[in-house]
Amino acid sequence: MTDWRHVYRWDLDKTYLETHFESLSRLVRIAFEKPEEKVNVPGSAALLRELSRPREGVMPNRVCIVSGSPTQMRKVLEQKLALDGVTWHEFHLKPQWDNLRRGRLRAVRDQVGYKLPLLLESRANVAAGTGETLFGDDAEADGFIYSLYADVLAGRLDSAQMVRILKAAGAYPDAIERCVAAASALERADDVERIFVILDKRSPPANFRALGSRLVPVFNYFQAALVLFAGGHLDAAAVIGITRAFLEEDRHPVDELANCFQDIVRRGHLPGSAMQELGLAVQEQIEATAEREVIWNCVQRFMDLGEARAFRKPQGPDATEYLSLLDALKRRS
Amino acid sequence: MIQPVTIALDCMGSDHGPREAVQAAARLTLERDDLRVILVGDVDQLGPLLDELSYDPARLSLLHTPQWVEPEDHPRTVLLDKPRASILEACDVVAAGRASAVVTAGSTGAAILAAAQRLGRIPGVRRAALAAVTPTEQTHGPKKDPFALLLDVGATLDASARDLVTFAIMGSAYAAAISGNPAPRVALLSNGTEAHKGPAEVVEAHRLLSELRGIEFAGNVEGLDIPRGTVDVVVANGFLGNVVLKMIEGVGEVIADLAADAYARKYLWRLGLTLLSSGIEQIQAVMDWESYGGAPILGFTQPVIKAHGRSRAPAIANACKVAAKASRSDMVRVVERSVAQLPTDAEELLA
Repeated sequence: MTDWRHVYRWDLDKTYLETHFESLSRLVRIAFEKPEEKVNVPGSAALLRELSRPREGVMPNRVCIVSGSPTQMRKVLEQKLALDGVTWHEFHLKPQWDNLRRGRLRAVRDQVGYKLPLLLESRANVAAGTGETLFGDDAEADGFIYSLYADVLAGRLDSAQMVRILKAAGAYPDAIERCVAAASALERADDVERIFVILDKRSPPANFRALGSRLVPVFNYFQAALVLFAGGHLDAAAVIGITRAFLEEDRHPVDELANCFQDIVRRGHLPGSAMQELGLAVQEQIEATAEREVIWNCVQRFMDLGEARAFRKPQGPDATEYLSLLDALKRRS
Repeated sequence: MIQPVTIALDCMGSDHGPREAVQAAARLTLERDDLRVILVGDVDQLGPLLDELSYDPARLSLLHTPQWVEPEDHPRTVLLDKPRASILEACDVVAAGRASAVVTAGSTGAAILAAAQRLGRIPGVRRAALAAVTPTEQTHGPKKDPFALLLDVGATLDASARDLVTFAIMGSAYAAAISGNPAPRVALLSNGTEAHKGPAEVVEAHRLLSELRGIEFAGNVEGLDIPRGTVDVVVANGFLGNVVLKMIEGVGEVIADLAADAYARKYLWRLGLTLLSSGIEQIQAVMDWESYGGAPILGFTQPVIKAHGRSRAPAIANACKVAAKASRSDMVRVVERSVAQLPTDAEELLA
């Protein structure tokens, strides 16, 4: 088994790619888009490229992609990732045609019974103790599935509890069996460090409190990059590069990025000391004028928080109530 | 895209607490790409409220203040006792150029004193005036607005003749800038239309305004002319203006209550009211102060918009939109230019 420094698991639609199918014509257009026509969520390509980039003298990171897009889109999606300069180690797509052919209509929409077995099976490729960071969005149940995976992996949920949740989610028996088999083969370890949920639908951050403090709701990848920098996953140069990409791709003015910085600090996910470190690194990059301006604006926003700036990470419940959360999810959808 | 306008929103000290201001700001960040909001107040209260809402963090930021004006605080002393009160900090943010206008639903007195202290008055303006829109039968200006401007409604309780003249000039300039009315008709509120009617300062103001150039002075109007809407701008001292404004609001609320009562009492009345419902809704819409947003406090070097203390989120959001409009139309500079013409004329006249 290869030793991996860290595992990054990504969803694609609405997490990596802008896939807003608000109309049938838009949905059809997305299905026939060429790789170069596909649009990234701002900053996603720059961030995933950084995370997947091999570094000299450092163990590689493992990138696993689990997407709800149909398997027929594999070629175009792989070409898109290659165009973005992203390398990956696993890439799973949903066998939608197979589900339809076998009359498994529930499985067409169900994400829990699709993603959880894949995540647990994929974990067999890495040694216990290897940390994981997962990326999803608020359009479907990514936060729920990732948290469930983290709790099964950590041994906080036993097999019987997992089966009850999967049944309640409407998973088919074969999916449940795969989960039980994969989970029983795993060495229990509390290895999921963080779950990022991109608030594509602008869901209120408090909606995710019930899933615990390891879940970080972010409004964009600038916020995610800052949190990853503070956690030692990215260096300052990488954050500056992502900031630059963000300024170019999204046309966000400098002060808007500073507002996003203040937001993630205020919500307790980023220690203010990270700013100091980043500021020093930017000083050394003489040419990075716009990025330097972002940092100075961030410093000002940090000062604006004044005496109230000792923000603590929001604390989640002692144990996640998955069954009641599932009810809430069903009601929302 | 047009350059966004940033509003400093004082979130503290209103009747319903900071929740309404935070809701208003969150909604604006999703609906208006031409607005940015700085939420000024106790971040320990504002942050958790914001987390419960949908919002765009790129379009808002927070400024922490450990102090704020409570409804029971006395405006004159509170700013000395609370030098870091949210209204003072909101004015500072505007004075520093980080925002273009102040919006508050807190104490009017504190807002006036804070603005005077931190923003300063327009040269030539001795006293500020709170201007409110009031629904009228006739429409006004090229946009056919169904309301007139009434000032002062509470900033300066006893105004001198010169103050009333300044209010008339500021009201005229504001109506021109915001409603696009090139020559708003301005009148003094009195107990008769004749020039000699009313208290001494009103009689004197009438004489001064009659001789002043650059203002469409229509003489005196009586109380009944306000709902009729015979003029575009009505000038009074703050005491009288406030009484009139509150009475108009009260009449509107009583009519709505009476209609609701009648609806509950008799089937025949219910039927009649149902048939009239669309008309009643239109009247309610015109009488609804929440839809007009805030009232500008005129006389300061930057726009200051006062929302009603009872404002819910939609009214505060509307106040922010009024502030943005005031900033974008350069309302203060228009007022400044108009007032700048006053010293020569008025000093001569007053002499």
